[in-house]
Amino acid sequence: MKLLLVGMNHRSAPVEMRERFAVDDPAPALEKLVAGDEIEEAVLISTCNRVEIVVQTPNVEAARHRLVRFFGTEWATRTHGAAIEDHLYVYRDAEAIAHVFRVASAIDSMVVGEPQILGQVKDAYRHAVDAGSCGPILSRLFQRAFATAKRVRSETRIGHGAVSMARIGVDLVAQVFEDLGSKKALLVGAGEMVEAALAALQGNGLGHATIANRSLERARDLAERFGVTAFGLDALPRLLAEADVVLTSVAVAEPILGVELAREVLARRRGRPVVVIDLGVPRNVAPEVGEIDNVYLYDVDDLQGIASQNAEERQREVARAGRIVSAECQRFEGWLGALEALPTIRDLSARAEALRRAEFERSVARLDLDEEQRAGLERMTRSLVSKLLHHPLTRLRKESDRAEGLALRGAARVLFGLDEPEAGADSEALDDPADDT
Amino acid sequence: MTEFHQAAAAVYLASGIAALLGIVLPSERIARASLYGLVVGAALQGIAFATLHRAAAPPALTDWVSVGALVAWMAVVVMVFFAWRMRLTTLAAVVGFVAFLFVFASLLKDPSTSVAVAGEAGAWPHAHVLLASAGISLLGVAGLAGIFYLIEHRRLKSKRALKRRVPGPSLEALDRVGVASLAAGFPLLTLGLATGMMWQRSENGVLFTGGPHEVWTLVAWLFYAGVVFVRFRGQQGARQGAATAVAGFVFLTFAVVGVGVLR
Repeated sequence: MKLLLVGMNHRSAPVEMRERFAVDDPAPALEKLVAGDEIEEAVLISTCNRVEIVVQTPNVEAARHRLVRFFGTEWATRTHGAAIEDHLYVYRDAEAIAHVFRVASAIDSMVVGEPQILGQVKDAYRHAVDAGSCGPILSRLFQRAFATAKRVRSETRIGHGAVSMARIGVDLVAQVFEDLGSKKALLVGAGEMVEAALAALQGNGLGHATIANRSLERARDLAERFGVTAFGLDALPRLLAEADVVLTSVAVAEPILGVELAREVLARRRGRPVVVIDLGVPRNVAPEVGEIDNVYLYDVDDLQGIASQNAEERQREVARAGRIVSAECQRFEGWLGALEALPTIRDLSARAEALRRAEFERSVARLDLDEEQRAGLERMTRSLVSKLLHHPLTRLRKESDRAEGLALRGAARVLFGLDEPEAGADSEALDDPADDT
Repeated sequence: MTEFHQAAAAVYLASGIAALLGIVLPSERIARASLYGLVVGAALQGIAFATLHRAAAPPALTDWVSVGALVAWMAVVVMVFFAWRMRLTTLAAVVGFVAFLFVFASLLKDPSTSVAVAGEAGAWPHAHVLLASAGISLLGVAGLAGIFYLIEHRRLKSKRALKRRVPGPSLEALDRVGVASLAAGFPLLTLGLATGMMWQRSENGVLFTGGPHEVWTLVAWLFYAGVVFVRFRGQQGARQGAATAVAGFVFLTFAVVGVGVLR
């Protein structure tokens, strides 16, 4: 019973390669993988930054060949053949367990601590369960991975502090306004930044939004997608007076919001605060605007500074998260090891019981015992075997997750002849020497 | 009554500590628990007040320590009301500690030093103390919200708020607390002043004796009247409103307490 993980991520493969492995429904791939003898259980994790297959296999090398072949020639929308191997990483047993735990805990993510990955791993597990490719070992592995991710999130600050400009902007707005539902936002521009910011603001319950752009057509396109209204830049003075949040990201040589216009707007707002986030380079808002009372102005450097600081803080938390992952890995390996010790424990118990029964029957046949004496003798032999085996069985269970466990299992199998066919020789060897006389 | 006061003081202290922990850790659950603590503390202190007049020798309500405890109780009730709806754990922490100090001080007071209220004054002293205390506590909450507003405003302007691990209360929440407390506190203070004048008349036959406490309280009232007029006519921005709420409370504290101490 071995674990193997083969995959590629944002560090090992370029996006042009990763995107060819994007799958909406992993069921056919999973069914194909577990159909052969090499793989008993499989889970496929597919996100925009990684494609990984975790399997439980009786033969690691055979499973590895199978997975590499699968990646190279069977799965992708375009075959890659041998070249694919350069972009794949392979983790076995303890490494594979640790990797799954790290992925679920967002330690291995491009943006450390990002919250989406746990949901994606949960989806991958659910798909595998639905496809019937996830058995008891991988089920347990993924349940432990989810528990580990929960621990990491609650016991460290790995998910704290926004790292995207849009998220930081929303956090800033939340420091000024308690309730975004009654607020109006004005977004100047129609590019990616504005789109991300609008999505983040709406995601946080923004009440009303307006887009103003030089090209009214582009503004309308974006506005339609978000269900907001669009205007040209000429409407700016009127729109500014109504806006509680102003976000700008347009390419202009001169600021579109200067001190005079800002003062005029503020006078019309009767001193109500306004948050201005200027994501434009060159800046879209004159820096002096930030000195006006009740105006809270932030530019791209301010936001970038906090993004870097939060990213650094998350990175510092990786070590703490790593310790949690290590502890959880050990626990899982212990459980896995105990599973591996089970056949030896079962065989040893069965062998001892067979010997006990044989010796008991022989003794009963020789002695003239009544029912009570017979029951007493049976109790005594059972107790003797149980006491003799107690310590070895306990050690086998306890050491199952350590290196010594393997040696102990081997020794037990040799010393008690567990791999030899059960025969009369066993009982003869243990016969009382006095019988020969 | 003392037992309830003692329990209330202990719960206020625990709530203040819990609120601080909720901010520092940060933990939403602990912060929320601190609010429940304030509710329990206020209930215990409320029971203590309710049993006040059932005691064999009821202590006077009109001494400063008792008034302080009453003001603290009302401030806690007001704070819980606001913090239930808005992210105001920092304010709740301060109010918890302040309430603890006031209630603890009232427990240390020697009952024999209480000044008995003259019988012919009737219900005016109690009406005055209750109404003025309610007004002071609300204006105190407005002042406290003002202080926090100015701190947060400064942090946001200097961009230090960006680097903070724990977000503080939003400016809007602090402004709402300030405006609502001012709107409710000013009428109560006005009623407190009116009942105080009635008390004065029942004791001395005149509404206004011109003593320093009365003069300064009247000046403070006039100041607040100006603040309310400007604020509710929309002629004042949120930051200016916060600054005047702080100034007004400093003025009022001097008028009510400072003048008596300096005399």
